[in-house]
Amino acid sequence: MTPPPPESVAAMIRPTPALPDSPTNRDVMRVFMERPGLGWLLLIGLCLGGLAGGAATWIYQIYAGLGIAGYSHPIFWGAYIVTFVFWVGIAHAGTLISAILFLFRAKWRNAINRSAEAMTIFAVFTAQLFLGIHVGRIWKAYFILPYPNQRALWVNFKSPLLWDTFAISTYTLVSLIFFYVGLIPDLAIARDRTTGWRKALYGALALGWQGTSRQWKAHNRTVLHLSGLATPLVLSVHSVVSWDFAMALVPGWHATIFAPYFVAGAIFSGFAMVLTVMIPVRRIFGLEHILTDYHFENMCRFLLLTSCIVGYAYGIEYFIAWYSGVEAEKTSFYLRAFGPYWISTWIMLIFNGVVPHLFWFKKLRTHVPTIFVICTLINIGMWFERYVIIITGLSREFNPAVWGHYTPQPAELMIIAGSFSFFSILFLIFLKLFPVIPISEVKELVIHERAHGHGQHAEAH
Amino acid sequence: MPTLVGVFDRPGDVAETVTRLKGRGFTKLEVYSPAPFEEIDDAVDPKPSKVRIFTLVGGLLGVVAGYAMTIWMSLDWPIVIGGKPFASIPPYTVIAFEVTILFGGIFTLLGLLAVGGLPSIKLGAGYSARFSAEEFGLVVEVPERDVAEVDGLLRAHSAKEVSLVAS
Repeated sequence: MTPPPPESVAAMIRPTPALPDSPTNRDVMRVFMERPGLGWLLLIGLCLGGLAGGAATWIYQIYAGLGIAGYSHPIFWGAYIVTFVFWVGIAHAGTLISAILFLFRAKWRNAINRSAEAMTIFAVFTAQLFLGIHVGRIWKAYFILPYPNQRALWVNFKSPLLWDTFAISTYTLVSLIFFYVGLIPDLAIARDRTTGWRKALYGALALGWQGTSRQWKAHNRTVLHLSGLATPLVLSVHSVVSWDFAMALVPGWHATIFAPYFVAGAIFSGFAMVLTVMIPVRRIFGLEHILTDYHFENMCRFLLLTSCIVGYAYGIEYFIAWYSGVEAEKTSFYLRAFGPYWISTWIMLIFNGVVPHLFWFKKLRTHVPTIFVICTLINIGMWFERYVIIITGLSREFNPAVWGHYTPQPAELMIIAGSFSFFSILFLIFLKLFPVIPISEVKELVIHERAHGHGQHAEAH
Repeated sequence: MPTLVGVFDRPGDVAETVTRLKGRGFTKLEVYSPAPFEEIDDAVDPKPSKVRIFTLVGGLLGVVAGYAMTIWMSLDWPIVIGGKPFASIPPYTVIAFEVTILFGGIFTLLGLLAVGGLPSIKLGAGYSARFSAEEFGLVVEVPERDVAEVDGLLRAHSAKEVSLVAS
């Protein structure tokens, strides 16, 4: 092509014609730009009801005291702590997908990482609610922080509960940063294509992102470093949660395997929750060509792996209880399986240790309804895992004076239902406000494949 | 100086054009790209991003702050707990570790903002919404007399459009 003569340069000053937008932009923007449908409104209405019920119960509990929660001697860690651990566990999948799979350069992660990261944040928020609910006197919850006070007393840093405070708050902040950093380029895409309040919102949040090479380079570095920081963080958070138990001498808790056992369980339950949420989302918003069966199959493989680890941990716990010869341990584990909480134990063993092995069959791990059912069972099983660990441990300690029985009370069930509503509301709002698929990451693959000339498969992975 | 905007479809072409332009002495250039592409980013500036320094400083500050806080607070009001020393390193390592990650993460975010020039109120002169679609924009400031030459160079490297934005 020969250069044009200098006279024609003036003719070049003209407005650029409107060009077709990127199909990836359109597909993903459609999800959050479309007016909420009836299903969304019904669902959020239902969740608001659940949340109102939970909030009212909590207010009543603040008035009446933790007695209405079935807390009584010797069991003062009940369903609230169980649900706290459950939600912290759910949170782990997001960081695993975005940080660890990023470091392993598993490109398939980028269709699911945004929603998984969002779930991480919402799950951590939900989990933190339970700390407030569990302490009872919520107005004194700030006692856990090392703040300067009149008596110049500081907190006890030797207590695992303090480690937990630091772990969970760090996790919340770092996950938020991770989520936000990934969102910035997509917010700029939304800013360029919206009007009115949305443009103002996305414009402010996008911070003037333009995708210059300098910005992308800094962004890549930032994501890499945040992944490097978040990987040990995510492993540490559930380890610290497990030490809340393992550092105590309670039979059934005092085990060195707890940290890896809890981390594997957290990833297991988190992946199950991501699938439980994303299967309906993909179906409702027609995202099958971005979030393919291939992604679901990979997630199922992860479930299979972590189920094996969790199953192994269940086995080792029983083995050690027997092999150690400690009477209290032996009794504790015998009572788990055949004592008053046998239903919970068998739910945990079957749903977490046996059912996921169906994923060995390719037919089943590629059949979406089956995946959905199995993941729901895993969610239930993982809640019961924490229930079994916490309650059976506390109900039979070393001496008959501290033996007791605990059943979750209606107040606790109301608040647990409220927590699911809270999580769902946050996620439903997220669906209608932010891109649920990381647009620029998907586009990177699309452009890359186009440049190298196998255009058709570009959007599949 | 007039500013030329070339629109490209393929990242490889952009990177090549950038290298050529820089070789010809046109260094006042900026690339807008819809996604990160290493070849472009390295052609514009081969040095690694300075974000890494922020992370390092944040992490180091965090580990020092974590140990300093726990040790100082334990010594400020010494209480024997479990027969352990007041400044008991193993449990404090857990806290120091978390604070390291916390500070490292916050500083990394600050690094992104500082290095990326964010937040910025105004968007660049050559920026357009098509560069957040699937096209690449190469914006280069050239002296009046070189406009035609650079225009030709951009087109020769498969720029599908070249336009002049007000200088």
